Amino acid sequence: MPEKPKKSISSLSERRKRFAWLIPFANLRITLTLLSFSMILIFVATLEQVRIGIRGAQAEFFESMYGIWYYPTQFWGGEYFDSIPIPIPGGYLLGGLLILNLLAAFITRFQWTGKKMGIQFIHLGIIMLLVGQLATQAMQEESRMQINKGESKNYLERFHGVELAFIDVTDAQTERVVALPEALLEQGGLHYSEDLPFKVRVLDFGPNCEFNSLPPASKAKGPTEGVNRGVIQSANLEIRPKPEDFSSEGMNFGYVVFELLEGAESLGTWAAISHPAGNHWWAQINPKMGDLAFQPIRMNGRLWGATLRPEREYLPYSIELLGIANEFYQGTDIPFNFESEIVLNMEKNESRRALVYMNTPLRHEGKTFYQYQMNKSADYTVFQVVRNPSWLVPYIACILVSIGLLWQFSFHLVRFLNKNSGANRAAA
Amino acid sequence: MPAAPHTHFWKLALLLAGTATLFSSCGEDPEVRSYTAANHYEGPVVSWVMPEQWGENPGMSGMMAGSFHIKTSLGPRGRIGVMPFRESVETTQIVNMFARELGHPDYNESSVQPLIAHKELGDRSFEVIRLEDMSGEEDPPKTALLALYRHNAQTWLFPFIADRALIDKELENFYSFLQSTTLRAGKTPVRAIAPSLPPAQPASSGHQPTWEAPEHWERKPATQMRVGNYAVSNEAGEALDFSITSFPGEVGGILANVNRWLGQVGMSPTDEQGLSQYLSDRMIDEKPAKLVLAESDEQALYAAILLHKGRSWFLKLMGDVNLARAEKENFLRLIDSFCLGDH
Repeated sequence: MPEKPKKSISSLSERRKRFAWLIPFANLRITLTLLSFSMILIFVATLEQVRIGIRGAQAEFFESMYGIWYYPTQFWGGEYFDSIPIPIPGGYLLGGLLILNLLAAFITRFQWTGKKMGIQFIHLGIIMLLVGQLATQAMQEESRMQINKGESKNYLERFHGVELAFIDVTDAQTERVVALPEALLEQGGLHYSEDLPFKVRVLDFGPNCEFNSLPPASKAKGPTEGVNRGVIQSANLEIRPKPEDFSSEGMNFGYVVFELLEGAESLGTWAAISHPAGNHWWAQINPKMGDLAFQPIRMNGRLWGATLRPEREYLPYSIELLGIANEFYQGTDIPFNFESEIVLNMEKNESRRALVYMNTPLRHEGKTFYQYQMNKSADYTVFQVVRNPSWLVPYIACILVSIGLLWQFSFHLVRFLNKNSGANRAAA
Repeated sequence: MPAAPHTHFWKLALLLAGTATLFSSCGEDPEVRSYTAANHYEGPVVSWVMPEQWGENPGMSGMMAGSFHIKTSLGPRGRIGVMPFRESVETTQIVNMFARELGHPDYNESSVQPLIAHKELGDRSFEVIRLEDMSGEEDPPKTALLALYRHNAQTWLFPFIADRALIDKELENFYSFLQSTTLRAGKTPVRAIAPSLPPAQPASSGHQPTWEAPEHWERKPATQMRVGNYAVSNEAGEALDFSITSFPGEVGGILANVNRWLGQVGMSPTDEQGLSQYLSDRMIDEKPAKLVLAESDEQALYAAILLHKGRSWFLKLMGDVNLARAEKENFLRLIDSFCLGDH
């Protein structure tokens, strides 16, 4: 059947003519260069992870177009070179270029022939892997849900990122929440909502701070200098901004200073601090700071509360914690099993019981609830909740690459065996 | 025929721009989010609609809910407050707090009854008590209009202190303000907060208290609330605040006052049993008094409480714990030197 390959070759040469401008980008040297840079990136990010933590290294080097690396003092000649900023191509740049490179190769060399089919599958799989990783970074959300035994929760809290929430609790049954996410707090400026009786001007925001209570006679300096309302003023708290701690054990106390306005008239300036373990801790740290969980603001007969808290996502269902169990290997502190017995209360009064334990998460409505932390003495459990719409993509990509490799090796093996047996026959 | 190089350039630029757009469009634009959820707030809810002619006094926070004045052509006049109490408080107790200030004799359960009127506002009933200054020093006389609302074993007090003419003029506004209030007891009780009384000077008996303060304590001007006012500091930047104040009556009692102070130095409130760890007896000016000594890791509170002839006297030192310890002897010497001057 000589026609088919000819047709395929002819369609390939037409495609190569049409996409001639892509041919330089399909160069294998580019692929190897990009892969080399990827290895350098991983090496540098691994070194930097010690200094700035996993999340810091991820943000600086992988979730960016480029990162800046300073030659380590401990390395040879470090005392001379440690102050030189070295730009390193970031994950977005290398990933984007690799996708471009692979796409170009795919378009300019694609041939649907038995000989090349395995290669095409491998390319397609790797492209899917890269695109899937990009989609995961863009869409994946990681949150936590802490539930006390006997109670139920219907919201998640983000691991990172805070929101300035104004909560109207005047109605006994429902509360109205108006929340400014961290991205808006970083932007600063004036923000409106038709659900708020006032405008909010964000004057200062920081992801982390130190704070201390000053004696009554002292005056606070720094971000809280102009604060004249609320807990920060009554407790005479002074805030000193700190860089965000990216380490896994890092405790970041985000802060915000904001002014409320009714029309053009200022109602005062408040400040709020977010406790990384939850704002209910403030009252236990210091009673006069307890209102950081809810700073009352009264407007037009309504009681609003202002608080800076981890960003929340409310769910159309709730999870009730019935019980927890944690087991350790005998005579050690090494966990053998953590498990939480829960009831998932869904809409239409439907419910189902489930056991969530290590490596056996609960999956519901696109979210996966992993057993994350537990405190037996305090009787609470914490789930890590992951939403990743593209979670299937890496599996599909791996299957494609496997099929491609299998096909390619099998094809060549069969050809070799045929050729070998033909040569043997000829020799015989 | 192969395409011209500049055509390639534009195609590449378009491709890169498209990729960049794809990257940037992956994140959502931040926006203010608004939603409703089940109400999990466990604190008490106290809110109101303030009449247009009123202004709010700044510096109020926590459950000590609100303080207002009336805007007049002469400036802010009068004082209206919102005071939630943890538990049901007897009317006599509240009336006597204000009555003494206005020159009235102490009331008891039966003698206070003629003063109480009931005002129905919406579906709620308020006790209303009007007390006028009996000293005759001011014309029109200083007047206290007290409105009390009781619900679920909690008491809300709304004192309106002003001259009689202003109270009469603002009466309708005061009632519409009361009617506008939302008062809901929370799952957590209102904290014991000694009511913030209208500014009160020591009884004008002609006798003024005296005391001997250490020379290095910086004397500051007396204020409407503070008969004695001092600041103490050291080179390390640590500071203390010392004050002598006086109020008619017991001002909520020892427990409520100590809890308020403990809160100011960052310590947890206590109960009747736990109070004894901070309290000891001491004689001041040959009268039995209470000494309060409390220290946290950072702050300290030393105070003396003297109740004499229907008035409470508070001598209070508060601030950084290290400096407070260094000044403790000076503080004790000062309270030992304190003399009311009435004998």
